[in-house]
Amino acid sequence: MTTYDLIFYLFALIILVSAFIVVAARNIIYSAFSLLFTFFGVAGIYVLLNADFIAVVQVIIYVGGILVLIIFGVMLTNKITEVEIKTESFQVLPSIIISGIIGGTLVAIFTKTNWKVAEPQILDKTVTEIGRFLVSHYMILFELAGIILLVALIGSVMIARKEKLETEEVEK
Amino acid sequence: MIPLKYYLILSAAFFSIGIIGVLTRRNAIIIFMCIELMLNAVNLTLVSFSSFFGDSSGQIFVFFVMAVAAAEAAVGLAIIIALFRNKLTINVDEVNIFKW
Amino acid sequence: MEQQTFLNILPILIVSTTTIATIFVEAFYKRSDNLIYWLSIVSLILTLIYSILTINVQNLNFSNTLHSGGITNLFYFVLSLTSLLVIISARDYLLRAKYHHGEFYILIFSSLLGMMLMASSRDLILTFLGLELMSLSFYVLAGYNRKVLFNNEASLKYFLLGAFASGFLLYGIALIYGSAQTTNILLIVNEFNNLLLKPLFVLGLVLLLIGFSFKVASVPFHMWVPDVYEGSPTVVSALMSTAGKTAAFAALIISFYGSTTSQVNFEIVAKIISYLAIASMLIGSITAIAQTNLKRMLAYSSIAHAGYMLIGIASANKLGMSGVIFYLIVYSFMNVASFILISLMENDFEKRISLNDFIGLANTHPWYAAIMALMMFALSGLPPFGGFFGKYYVFLAAIKADLTYLAVIGVISSVISAYFYLRVVVYMYFRTNEERKDIFHTSADNFVLVLCTLFVLQLGITPNLVLDLITRFLP
Repeated sequence: MTTYDLIFYLFALIILVSAFIVVAARNIIYSAFSLLFTFFGVAGIYVLLNADFIAVVQVIIYVGGILVLIIFGVMLTNKITEVEIKTESFQVLPSIIISGIIGGTLVAIFTKTNWKVAEPQILDKTVTEIGRFLVSHYMILFELAGIILLVALIGSVMIARKEKLETEEVEK
Repeated sequence: MIPLKYYLILSAAFFSIGIIGVLTRRNAIIIFMCIELMLNAVNLTLVSFSSFFGDSSGQIFVFFVMAVAAAEAAVGLAIIIALFRNKLTINVDEVNIFKW
Repeated sequence: MEQQTFLNILPILIVSTTTIATIFVEAFYKRSDNLIYWLSIVSLILTLIYSILTINVQNLNFSNTLHSGGITNLFYFVLSLTSLLVIISARDYLLRAKYHHGEFYILIFSSLLGMMLMASSRDLILTFLGLELMSLSFYVLAGYNRKVLFNNEASLKYFLLGAFASGFLLYGIALIYGSAQTTNILLIVNEFNNLLLKPLFVLGLVLLLIGFSFKVASVPFHMWVPDVYEGSPTVVSALMSTAGKTAAFAALIISFYGSTTSQVNFEIVAKIISYLAIASMLIGSITAIAQTNLKRMLAYSSIAHAGYMLIGIASANKLGMSGVIFYLIVYSFMNVASFILISLMENDFEKRISLNDFIGLANTHPWYAAIMALMMFALSGLPPFGGFFGKYYVFLAAIKADLTYLAVIGVISSVISAYFYLRVVVYMYFRTNEERKDIFHTSADNFVLVLCTLFVLQLGITPNLVLDLITRFLP
């Protein structure tokens, strides 16, 4: 077993254990912090796969953006002092069976398929290539991603802003 | 060298953990976190395919999935906060006008 | 961008420009509501006209990711017509609820943009992004009236299940990418026969189907439908149940189009689709019987209709595919009209939409009762109306594909569903109630209702015209 393999198993362990903690933790804060390790673990695997650009983006978007948003969500919906946050679970057995079936099928097909590729290929200049693709082949997608983010912004502001409309309407 | 299979099995296991979380937890934010786990698992699959095929379009897809995930996070948490403001709970089965 | 490309994607450009223009108008003008209303109507009419005029010019743009002309323009036409009908009648409904703001139009337009991209996409990445744009707008629209708890809950439920389903959709796309080494639908369709030999690809298709089942409101992701349709503002439910379904089925048809040339290997997938279809039809029709809330009833009927449409996909032939598109067109008009009639009965959000409120409607408002009765007949699939032919083509396709049992179950389910559709008619015509109920009608609503009625009648009288058009443009 080479060091390379060892690193893979280490990251895999980090991902699976921390994902399990996200799912199973009693306290929502533990779940949120465990998610941090999952995201970093995934970024580590990306580096192993020579996807350096995606690894960096993973850290910036997931850790820097989404996780922070989630923690804000937790803080806004719970008073921080009340650590007793009810997060118990239900329907444990049926859901384990369902996800077992899905995961089992996936694993069975993955192991049965004859993969002709042997090892990850090193794309030289990933960033250059991705950048060129984004403004040529996938131009329309790039524009669309912009619109999606704009709509998400407008939508979330619209839903979550504080109520001021009633007073305005009275004035009218 | 770790074969492609191992990466895919890792992502399948990761995905299943996410599904268990979505189905068993009742707190809307935790369900949302578990959905993020599922999306990460998919991204892992895509990046491993892309890297083993030497084809960068998979990585571009992951880039878009991340953009969408960020947009979803913003909208989702806005919805959760709006609900919390009206109801003061975010546990999905206490949201009892509807049956879950 | 070349000039030709620019002309090809003009419908999309009009809609996206309107989305952005609406944002600016909303931001800089104080009393912008009326301006935005008319702006959106004008731009939708432009889209309608342009997509009909250029229907014969078929092209692939942006390195084969976006199709234009032909069947795509037909989808554009249906989607923007549905949105137009909904927008026209939505203003009075929202004014009544004292919640008429420019954001509504921004979100309707962005969802329309997403739907149009889904229908025209020839790349799975674009399909996914279009679907997410549509879904994000719908999540927000479902919770549009955020002061009402009911709306918040509908929106939360819709969001959580939607994001869950898009996880499956994405996994499906990832596996398809893994087996085909491309995300371009045209390449995948060409290789469909060979790819079906790979279990990985089949699993990818199944996961894709499960992901789409959320948007088309069929089993296994159907549990959100009744709650969300009931909880959302009625006009939004009208849009979600018609245009949302049309766009999702359009994307499904495009991705599964390769199956029309490959009967043999498609069997496993076809079997899974037919199980989903059977489950949707039966669950939808049987549960709808127990509903007294009309919006919930229409939601379960929407599940059942998704089941009928899945039969067309399962039968994997050209007639099935064009039958589904025909069905979608008819269904859009029927459902928009029914939801608008329900919205007329509401005096405030979420009031007076139970079956009992329709008692004696025939005496007080004979015209509305007549249109409602017509829509119920059409939804149940009685012969002279468009709804009948939608089902007829789909069942015919199933029989052609040796899936007769699907057609039989479809007919049985239609018979069951006739009970709850006709119950509405019975309540309106054969029960009387002394209490007179006002209906909040305006000329805009009347216009939309008359238009829908004409379309449903026309599709029932000359179904061949439309079916020929669809078949001509299917590749």
